[in-house]
Amino acid sequence: MLLALIRRFGQMVFVMFGISVLVFLIFFVTPGADPAARIAGRNASPETLEAVRKSFGFDQPIWIQYLTMMKKIFITQDLTSFVNRGWKVVPAVFDTIPVTLSLVIGAAVLWVVFGMLVGILAAATRGSIIDKALMAFGLIGCAMPVFWLGEVMNLITQSRYHDTWLFSWVPPLGYKPLSQDPKGWFLTLVIPWITLAILYIGLYGRVLRASLIEAMQEDYIRTARAKGLSETRILLRHALRTSLISFVTLFGLDFGALVGGAALLTEVVFGLQGVGKLTYDGLQNLDLPIIMTTVIYASFFVVLANALVDIVYILLDPRVRSA
Amino acid sequence: MTDAVASVRLSRGPWATALRKLSRDNAAMVCLAVFCLIVILCLLAPAYASFANTDPFRSTLDATVEINGQQVPVMEQSTEGLGLGYTPIGPTWRLGSYFLGADNQGRDVMARLLYGGRNSLLIAGAATIITLVIATIVGLTAGFFGGITDTILSRILDVLWAFPVYLLAISLSIVLIAQGIDLGLIVLEAGSLWLPIFIIGIVYIPYIARPVRGQVLALRQSEFVLAAIGLGVPEHRILLRDILPNISTTLIVFAPLMLAINMLTEAALSFLSIGVQPPDASWGTIIQDGQGLLYTRPWVALAPGIAIALTVLVLNVLGDGLRDALDPRSKIRLGGD
Amino acid sequence: MKKWLLAGAAALLLTAMSGTSFAEYKAEHRGGTIRLLAKSAGGSLDPHINYTLQYWNLYQPTYDGLVTFKKAAGEEGFKIVPDLAEAIPAPDNGGKTYVFKLRKGIKFSDGRELGVKDVVASFQRIFKVSSPTSGSFFAGIVGADKCLAAPADCTLEGGVVGDEAAGTVTINITQPDAEFFQKIALPHAVILPADAPAKDAGTDIIPSTGPYMFTKYDPNKELVMERNPHFKVWSEEAQPDGYPDKVQYDFGLSEEAAVTAVQNGEADWVFDEIPADRLGEIGTKNKDQVHVTTLTAWWYLPMNTRLAPFDNEKARQAVAFAIDRNQMVKIFGGPVLAAPVCQVLPPGFPGHEPYCPFTKDPGAKWSAPDMEKAKQLVEESGTKGQKVTIIAEDRAVSKSIGVYLQSVLNELGYQAEVKPISANIQFTYIQNTNNKVQMSITQWYQDYPAASDFLYVLFGCESFHEGSDSSVNIAGFCDKEINDKMKKALELGVEDPVAANKMWAEIDKAVTDKAPAAALFTPKHLDFVSKRVGNFQFNSQYYWMVTQSWVQ
Repeated sequence: MLLALIRRFGQMVFVMFGISVLVFLIFFVTPGADPAARIAGRNASPETLEAVRKSFGFDQPIWIQYLTMMKKIFITQDLTSFVNRGWKVVPAVFDTIPVTLSLVIGAAVLWVVFGMLVGILAAATRGSIIDKALMAFGLIGCAMPVFWLGEVMNLITQSRYHDTWLFSWVPPLGYKPLSQDPKGWFLTLVIPWITLAILYIGLYGRVLRASLIEAMQEDYIRTARAKGLSETRILLRHALRTSLISFVTLFGLDFGALVGGAALLTEVVFGLQGVGKLTYDGLQNLDLPIIMTTVIYASFFVVLANALVDIVYILLDPRVRSA
Repeated sequence: MTDAVASVRLSRGPWATALRKLSRDNAAMVCLAVFCLIVILCLLAPAYASFANTDPFRSTLDATVEINGQQVPVMEQSTEGLGLGYTPIGPTWRLGSYFLGADNQGRDVMARLLYGGRNSLLIAGAATIITLVIATIVGLTAGFFGGITDTILSRILDVLWAFPVYLLAISLSIVLIAQGIDLGLIVLEAGSLWLPIFIIGIVYIPYIARPVRGQVLALRQSEFVLAAIGLGVPEHRILLRDILPNISTTLIVFAPLMLAINMLTEAALSFLSIGVQPPDASWGTIIQDGQGLLYTRPWVALAPGIAIALTVLVLNVLGDGLRDALDPRSKIRLGGD
Repeated sequence: MKKWLLAGAAALLLTAMSGTSFAEYKAEHRGGTIRLLAKSAGGSLDPHINYTLQYWNLYQPTYDGLVTFKKAAGEEGFKIVPDLAEAIPAPDNGGKTYVFKLRKGIKFSDGRELGVKDVVASFQRIFKVSSPTSGSFFAGIVGADKCLAAPADCTLEGGVVGDEAAGTVTINITQPDAEFFQKIALPHAVILPADAPAKDAGTDIIPSTGPYMFTKYDPNKELVMERNPHFKVWSEEAQPDGYPDKVQYDFGLSEEAAVTAVQNGEADWVFDEIPADRLGEIGTKNKDQVHVTTLTAWWYLPMNTRLAPFDNEKARQAVAFAIDRNQMVKIFGGPVLAAPVCQVLPPGFPGHEPYCPFTKDPGAKWSAPDMEKAKQLVEESGTKGQKVTIIAEDRAVSKSIGVYLQSVLNELGYQAEVKPISANIQFTYIQNTNNKVQMSITQWYQDYPAASDFLYVLFGCESFHEGSDSSVNIAGFCDKEINDKMKKALELGVEDPVAANKMWAEIDKAVTDKAPAAALFTPKHLDFVSKRVGNFQFNSQYYWMVTQSWVQ
């Protein structure tokens, strides 16, 4: 068991190393990515340019630059942005984490609750019009591009119907910290939560419905039915437990990815300064320190989530454990 | 004896059985029809453009259109207040004449929507093919040969998979779109459609390669494969004749799903201006055009969004139907097979 | 409506120029927090480094130099007035020496008194931190050459000399310079404490002398300015007191969201360009909150004179003839916000004489494109059918213009493509010859009102550097005859500005004829403020004087 854990950990480190090298290489070869001129400003003389370039350390060979950057991220944590000089990147990333967490956890609560409701209801009324309708809505939910849905929500709540009683409570876009303004924090996040959750409710509803239906065909369920238990009880107490396995594994993977910043389009559309938006801005500005730090952070969570899900899977599914 | 022989002869092959099951699935059939309709409409884009007598790739800010017998400029200047800004006309709801209105370059949105569909479908389709082909090769190799090959390939897949998909796609796009690729053998110009195809195709390889690898690993231990190896059948024949057909159902079920996912990814990349380049259109670029007109002409953004949602929707239902049809453990018992 | 605005602006000008130019400070409006929005931060907060309009706008009420541009609206805003110095010194030594007497009693925001040593140290610091204009604007100071070669040990010996006892600072320059005062009025030459770090301060705040000081800076979230407790007004025209107690500048909101916020009164002003689809709306629903001001700037199309097909003069002229500048104006937002131009110098600039050769009836003004002439020129040039790539910025207007231009070039017979690049890197990308940029879309706003700032900086041979990200002569234009004339005009400007301006007008015509760049239009600046903002004053050098407006 311990050996397996250590091996997993080693795998994590290897993967993150691989990603950091990949990012470095990708951005090193971009033209116009040299920030020295942008910092030196328009109309700078060649000497000014050289001096600025030296202060960034661009005259060093590429592998030294890579190692320096890694040292600055992990050990000394004083890596500074190329675009906003002097701005420490690692603390900046940590500052944006609460925003992303607020968005993702809230949406997760919504989609878990409603996903389960939808899945159970659809499986219980299988084949009926309710089932079909739920599946249809769910499908529509995951078919819409999330950035488009966000823009449409903005159009409706911020502009067109902002003055009606329906949406006058919607505050202006932009995150409000929980500690400073709890009511504002909540109101600001309601529409983004719904937007992000719609995508996943459909998906999770379908997954749960499918595994519930499959579980209901199993022999042990037939036994329970023969014993005289009610359908509802069977569904909720026996079938649900095994069906939740795929639900949970999927949830772990998605949640991990989102915490890592995969909700970037939602954050951009709603003006929430989370990790995803920070990553996106960094990519647009070709700000390598930001890109590197956020990508490492994101991949850390994805890899961690993967590992946790594997462990949970082993714990949950008795069949796998014995294999 | 006659009954057993008869039942053997009467039994259709697995593919015919699946096809029959699929044809009984009403929802899947309807969606297949809708999808074909969408494809046909998009292929007819040039026909629509010449019917509407418009060039959807040419900026025509000073064009005029006839409404109620009068020639109205396509870009209307704001006349109230300070007279700031120009607004393109809204939907006329007349086929062939700015049906959905104009965008901010004075172009016919309906015509662009059809051409955009072509590009979106083309990119998503080609990317799906690339992903399926490469993922199959990788999955087969890793799963069958095992050992060091498997380790190396699996680690590469891990790195690709852990790199958040959108980030990888965006990073590659930002770098490649600006200058294209020049790898000696493969030279892609900056505006080429092959760049988004290539990028989207690559980032989803692990998504398919891993399940394929898992299946191949399991198959490799199955009796008929072990028997074939024992008999001395050469490896490539085992791969082609024993393993490949067995994973083909997985691939077929994945195909429409991948197509749907790729459409969404392409839309996102084009929305961020790192997919299809102007003046080419794709549903994602039109949404981006529409973003700048959202408050005055929302249809420019709504139409492509609805188009994407509809296509993804029917592809998903089709995928479900295929899975149900191809799954031998399907509990729907049809008579006579 | 346009006339009404112009009349209003004219009235403002008249009151501004009538002697007692300053409205007295209305104490009843003092206080409150003014809230500004921008999509992103503007980079380093260090005034010696930052070269963005976004922050130069904010340095107005925070930092001071020896002299400054008068804090007034309209034309008055171009005048140089003494700031930390008591008076504008007369030139000594044939225009090569200026002796500034420092005012006494001015304190930094940390309580320390400003002295001669701070002035000397600040000028040295310009070179120590490799300020962007150290090599271009300040290279004329004696000792600058040594400083440019070895920035870290910069002493500017003989260049900037302080006399503690007399309280004076003497600046010696190698040659007389007509633009000397304007150069040292720029934020790159403001006076900072002598112990300010000798490197880019980045997000660290340097104490300031003006009525406001920066108190917080997180480039991902906000920039905060509050009153400087140690400030006392020493000159109304150089550095007046401000109304709001606090300036809260928030980053991150998209342009659409920001406009909505200002409309709903949740913010007071947006920095970014207003999206085209909101223009009509704010021009009607919020027309009293919209201020349109004429600028001295231009949007133009540099064409690489060293690469095919634009190494051929006829090809360049063809493009200039073919562009329908009215359509460009439409894309930008309409005739209220922009006016077509054909030449380099913008209207209202010293040395400007209306001239337009690239239109249907060549004369003083542009009227319509001449597509026939353009196509004919393309045929004559023999460049028809060649591939052209247009590099635009990834912003709504620039992209739209790029797509439109692609259409035009295709009609002319070229095979055109447009590539939008992130606005943060586009400007340096198009300057570097390694990127082989044939045509790009960009703008130039004045540094200060002098013809050389447009003609010499953008089209002089010395502004071109091969393979460098900083080669602002993007077209790579170098004509020896014209270049010599420009240098003559610069010299002439020291003694006889009027004659010099006449020379610049001729140079303007000469450069325009050769078409190294196609002029597109001159933009007006649009400011959208919330209902509660009062006393909107626009300084032509630094734009909206934020702290001169009140919010209550």
